[in-house]
Amino acid sequence: MATDSAPSADGARRRVALARAAPAGLLWVAVVAAVTAGLVALRGALDKAHIALVYLLVVLAASARRGRSVGIALAILCFICFEVFLLPPYHGLALQAPADWLVLAAFLSTSVVAAQLLDRARREAAAAERRAQEIEHLSRLGAETLNAGRAEDAVEAAARVIRSTLGVGWCGIHQREPETGAFRLAGAAARPDFDPASEAWADAILAYVVEHRAAAVRRLDGAVHVVGVGEEAAGAVALAQPDARSMLLPLGVRGSVVGVLALADDRPILLDAAQQRFVDALGYYAALAVERVRLAAEAEHAEALRHADRLKDALLAAVSHDLRTPLTTIKALAHEIREGGDERAAIVEVEADRLNRLVADLLDLSRLNAGALPLDPELNAADDLLGAALDRLAGTPRVGDVRVELDATEPLIGRFDFVHSLRALVNLIENALKYSPAGSPVEVVARREGDDVVLSVLDRGAGIPASAVDRLFEPFFRAPGVAPDTAGAGLGLAIARRLAEAQGGTVRYAPRPGGGSIFSLHLPAADAAGVCAPSS
Amino acid sequence: MDRVRRVWLTHHRTGERERAPRPEKSERIPAATLKGMPPGRRTLHARPRRGYSVVSQGDHPEAPLMESLTALVIDDEPQIRRVVRNALEAEGARVIEAETGREGIDRAAAELPALVVLDLGLPDMEGIRVCTEIRKWSAAPIIVLSARHAEREKVALLDAGADDYVTKPFSPPELRARARAQLRRARLAGGQADAVVEVDGLRIDLAGRTLQRDGADIHLTPTEWDLLRTFVRHAGRTLTHRQIFREVWRDPAGDAQAYLRVHVANLRRKIERDPVRPQLIITEPGVGYRFRAIG
Repeated sequence: MATDSAPSADGARRRVALARAAPAGLLWVAVVAAVTAGLVALRGALDKAHIALVYLLVVLAASARRGRSVGIALAILCFICFEVFLLPPYHGLALQAPADWLVLAAFLSTSVVAAQLLDRARREAAAAERRAQEIEHLSRLGAETLNAGRAEDAVEAAARVIRSTLGVGWCGIHQREPETGAFRLAGAAARPDFDPASEAWADAILAYVVEHRAAAVRRLDGAVHVVGVGEEAAGAVALAQPDARSMLLPLGVRGSVVGVLALADDRPILLDAAQQRFVDALGYYAALAVERVRLAAEAEHAEALRHADRLKDALLAAVSHDLRTPLTTIKALAHEIREGGDERAAIVEVEADRLNRLVADLLDLSRLNAGALPLDPELNAADDLLGAALDRLAGTPRVGDVRVELDATEPLIGRFDFVHSLRALVNLIENALKYSPAGSPVEVVARREGDDVVLSVLDRGAGIPASAVDRLFEPFFRAPGVAPDTAGAGLGLAIARRLAEAQGGTVRYAPRPGGGSIFSLHLPAADAAGVCAPSS
Repeated sequence: MDRVRRVWLTHHRTGERERAPRPEKSERIPAATLKGMPPGRRTLHARPRRGYSVVSQGDHPEAPLMESLTALVIDDEPQIRRVVRNALEAEGARVIEAETGREGIDRAAAELPALVVLDLGLPDMEGIRVCTEIRKWSAAPIIVLSARHAEREKVALLDAGADDYVTKPFSPPELRARARAQLRRARLAGGQADAVVEVDGLRIDLAGRTLQRDGADIHLTPTEWDLLRTFVRHAGRTLTHRQIFREVWRDPAGDAQAYLRVHVANLRRKIERDPVRPQLIITEPGVGYRFRAIG
């Protein structure tokens, strides 16, 4: 893509203006010829002042109709006709009375000045009318984009108003899909006789326009040029290009490019300064409309997500509830049978608990994966967490092997969700108990480490082989060489890490010097300063 | 230590039930009044306007507290009702059932049960409404059956006047233990305000504001005292963070509620034998704290 500097479009515009003016000029020459013929027929009966007045009327009429250049050209033509045909001696450049030169000069200057004045008045009137139109268009665009019921309708309305205001063949507004990055024609309007099919732009060019705040033009010969890269007024640069029959202009709102405005016509798009200004204003409205589409889509997406979350929660709650009722019954009946003397029922009780736990783990994992876990981060003490973990483990075999060390004189304070952190810590301790040899203690150490409260669980088990460390926290992972019945489903570590991560912490593994593993639960620490002030 | 347990035989706040005759000091107590008392050697002392004080010695924690008490189960699942019925009847309680919240409230009003077991997720009304309704006129302990992942619900129910909760799936002994603890607490309620409390080697004199462990004085800050008094007053009952906060910091200011955990941690370091294995102040994860039942 070649980047073009703008050759002046003024020349082109002037050429076009001249070409449009030519037939009108010929008409007025014919009028002058006719008037002159009439005057020649009557010249014996007419005074010089009458002739000058008639010519002046013609010049004024032409100036009023066709502007200054036609007016002045006619003034000169009339001046010549006056001199040649109507002042004696006729058909020559000499004059009988030198005073006639004065008459001619007065005629010429009066004509020119009048033409000038008329033209200025005409232009000012036209400008005022354009302003009025601009304001009307803008207010229409504003009203349509604001009133449009759906955001898509607003974009559609913006395209319609821009097309009709600029008088181009086609106007389209491209928008980028947030997920795919592909471009979509969010709204377009075409003149009935114009076929917009030929005006497709490659996504790459659209993307370039958005990312580099550039504009692109397609010349009459089909060549595509990217212009005004990174410039605030990239659009104005594109509009100043000659021979551009199609162009892409960036749509910016609050400093960022949100979409692309495409204009196309079957002839070069030529806009005057006022129209260019106007395109800026229209572009802003179009950008707002595009932004509105995006926000509406986002809101819709968020609503859909919320809805899905509610459904998932309802489903999980239902599954959870429906499973717990039979489990309660099974446990209770097994207990009664055991009290009746059949010790085998104890196995049913234990297995019911295991089943309950597996179901809970799977439900939690699916909630964690979906990011649907409700969190209540509050100021909590690590002491409390340790105590609750030991309390929860009470009754499990080998809980007596757990040694706890609190590495602080003041309570360690963190901001975390107590229930989830407790679960994570219990999983880590259970894991350590499961893999450490009988009789060797599992140590739990709490300390502050930078911005983290760290609860480390140290065991003297076999440790984790280096090849398996990467997959350690994956669900259903089991350390190589571990008998399948040693562990549960292999969800404990995965759940622990995800629970920690959900609240801004993590779980890390490190080999323990001298053999074994260290699993550290990191939770965000909080400052205890001032906490104790109210009590004393 | 041969424990001496004092039990205030009080009537529920409703006062609707027949009042037991108020005997003079030496009078014989009608046998019916003793029903439901823990077994063991019993001495009854009349307490003006309070009922009877029963001093029993050597009784066991497993004593049949529920003998002939009425317990109400509100649950829409017949299997769960059956489980609860079997668990409580094994303790000697008379169990009545209700299938819906509305029926539960009506039966609670008609039968004045000494214990209510309430399941959440009733078809006709929120468990919390049932709880609030019953709590309007009854002080009977309410134990809630709840699911996991329902901490917020548990907190809301405790705030609404429920006394404890059991998480499903539960085993019968678990439910029985909770029920016994609540009944014991309900009987003791009101009798301890002026008492010196001894628990786990800790001697707490609330009136004299002195605290000793094994004869050694322990110094508490004023906030820690308030906290301890709140815990002791509601010993055996799960208190939500909010309930504790309201009682200790009557004038809630700033972020102090968030610091409740810190004060509890400090208090534990002073009164527990092993602060990371607390025996007195038990953490109920996500819900609050429970002070060990006294007596």
